[in-house]
Amino acid sequence: MTEVLSEQMGRGSHGGALLEVDNLHVEFRTRAGVAKAVNGVTYSVDAGETLAVLGESGSGKSVTAQTIMGILDMPPGKITGGEIRFRGVDLLKLPDDQRRKIRGEGISMVFQDALSALNPVFPVGWQIAEMFRMHRGTSRADAKKMAVELMDRVRIPAAKERVNDFPHQFSGGMRQRIMIAMAIALDPEILIADEPTTALDVTVQAQIMGLLAELQRDSNMGLILITHDLGVVADVADKIAVMYGGRIVENAPVHDLYRDPAHPYSKGLLESIPRVDQKGQELYAIKGLPPNLLEMPTGCAFHPRCPYRRDNCVTDVPPLYTISGTRGSACHYWREVIDEGER
Amino acid sequence: MGRYAIRRLLQLVPVVLGTTFIINYMVWQLPGDPFAGRCGQRPCPDSYITAMREQFGLDQPILVQYWNFLKNLLTGNFGTDFNGVSVATQLGDAWPITIRLALMAVAFEAIIGIGAGVLSGLKRGGFVDNVVTVSTLVLLSLPIFVTGYLLQWILGVQLHIIEPTVSDAATVPELIVPALVLASLNMAFTARLTRTSIVENLRADYVRTAVAKGLSNRRVVAIHLLRNSLIPVLTFLGTEVGSLMSGAIITEGIFNIHGIGGLLWRAINGQDYTIVVPVATLLVLVYLVSNLLVDLLYGVLDPRIRYE
Repeated sequence: MTEVLSEQMGRGSHGGALLEVDNLHVEFRTRAGVAKAVNGVTYSVDAGETLAVLGESGSGKSVTAQTIMGILDMPPGKITGGEIRFRGVDLLKLPDDQRRKIRGEGISMVFQDALSALNPVFPVGWQIAEMFRMHRGTSRADAKKMAVELMDRVRIPAAKERVNDFPHQFSGGMRQRIMIAMAIALDPEILIADEPTTALDVTVQAQIMGLLAELQRDSNMGLILITHDLGVVADVADKIAVMYGGRIVENAPVHDLYRDPAHPYSKGLLESIPRVDQKGQELYAIKGLPPNLLEMPTGCAFHPRCPYRRDNCVTDVPPLYTISGTRGSACHYWREVIDEGER
Repeated sequence: MGRYAIRRLLQLVPVVLGTTFIINYMVWQLPGDPFAGRCGQRPCPDSYITAMREQFGLDQPILVQYWNFLKNLLTGNFGTDFNGVSVATQLGDAWPITIRLALMAVAFEAIIGIGAGVLSGLKRGGFVDNVVTVSTLVLLSLPIFVTGYLLQWILGVQLHIIEPTVSDAATVPELIVPALVLASLNMAFTARLTRTSIVENLRADYVRTAVAKGLSNRRVVAIHLLRNSLIPVLTFLGTEVGSLMSGAIITEGIFNIHGIGGLLWRAINGQDYTIVVPVATLLVLVYLVSNLLVDLLYGVLDPRIRYE
């Protein structure tokens, strides 16, 4: 990072959190029309904090993350409003070369499918070492040593022997570890993990989540965990943002949300987790389909699927009502949702 | 890898035996007696024909002839043609010229084809892309002999930029235009293949990862994107080296280049099979060896291909 930039972006010199997404709007302009993927998303992460962003496919959670990283395909994507402040500086206004330096050094990302996200024709050690060589100017030999250390740190067995192996020679879990090693190579302040465990089997999922949590504790990173799996987040996350139709519909500390969800959609998600004590009963499922981004429902985007729907839900877009200090719900009838408790 | 290479080399043996046998058999089975037309206006006397047939072993059964051919091939003894001129000398004169022409053509295919493909693939729908798409379409729809005669006429006869025909020395500058003609079809195809491959890989996850790593655009394209995109292109270029050699026959005819193409052309017309057989055999060998090299190269370029 350049001198000027690091000074101007010095930690603590601004009031807000380490990373703040503020009223972000992103659209995709396609032949079929304009798909509004992100419609005014606001969330923040501080050092050492874990934010879980929850939502089904098409809810805008990954698009938001890609916009933060600056890897959104533009076109067809287009940022139509909002700010993304990292250490108080709006990333969306930074010139390309400064933005590029933040990628990997300030904010890093782990992708869902490590097999396709790693380059198939280069050895994994080389791909990790590239971070040091390109950002720090480290020599080939030193960078390779550092790559081995990182592979050890993410607990890849026999790292030294495997440093020259190619991605396809590793198992799914090991590949994701390599992905993580690459992302944390330069000690970023924010790590975005976009469905890091979705492509893995359950036991490996737990190991990878454990590893992420441990790395985060050690280096005090801010972690944004994007997932559609409520089961994954309970143990690691501090707070949860539930997204639906490109909006945040509920914002809550993790235990509050699990105890009494304040939005019908979050409630539906929780109720659709299979539970041992309900063995033999039919599994709950939210009725209907996710909204078509090209033709968003009027009013509350969730209203066609919502059991609490009233007439004004069809016409009025609910704002994010403040429930308490850190809690919010974008439901006109959030009191009712909380009060009713479990169905 | 080493064992794989040896196995592939061994596989070449039956292929070489099969193809050369077919070449030998078919050539001598062609209608018309090669010696009948060698005495000017009148038919050749039977004594001459019998003597010649004996001299070239044509009175022997086909299998014995083939055995002799193999023996001669392995000892490098190609004998003489019907006119008593050494076949080896003629091949030795012609072969380097064709090799030079073919290598220049491959270089043009690689440099111009890949360059144009990369530029048009990176800026899809842009000006360069449109120019490349249209010009490759033109090249692909023109047969080599049309392109050849056209360039010869425009550049050589009308504009006098080049000599319309190539001298006996066939120097590199003289061969530039013929090599471009020879390369034209493959060059256009290479450009299209590269473009498609670039466009496909541009959307690949690992390119997104490379960007997310904070690498410069140049590095993302030149290292991460190109390395993957060029795998199919290099494979294509390699396998086409063999067909380039045979394509040289037409180009050499147009520009009067004294390579093996011209040699083969004259030999076929004169029914001089003592030349046709070794030249065809050489072409087969070049084709097989270049294919083998491509297969081995593929394993080097793409680590996911494993040979055991």
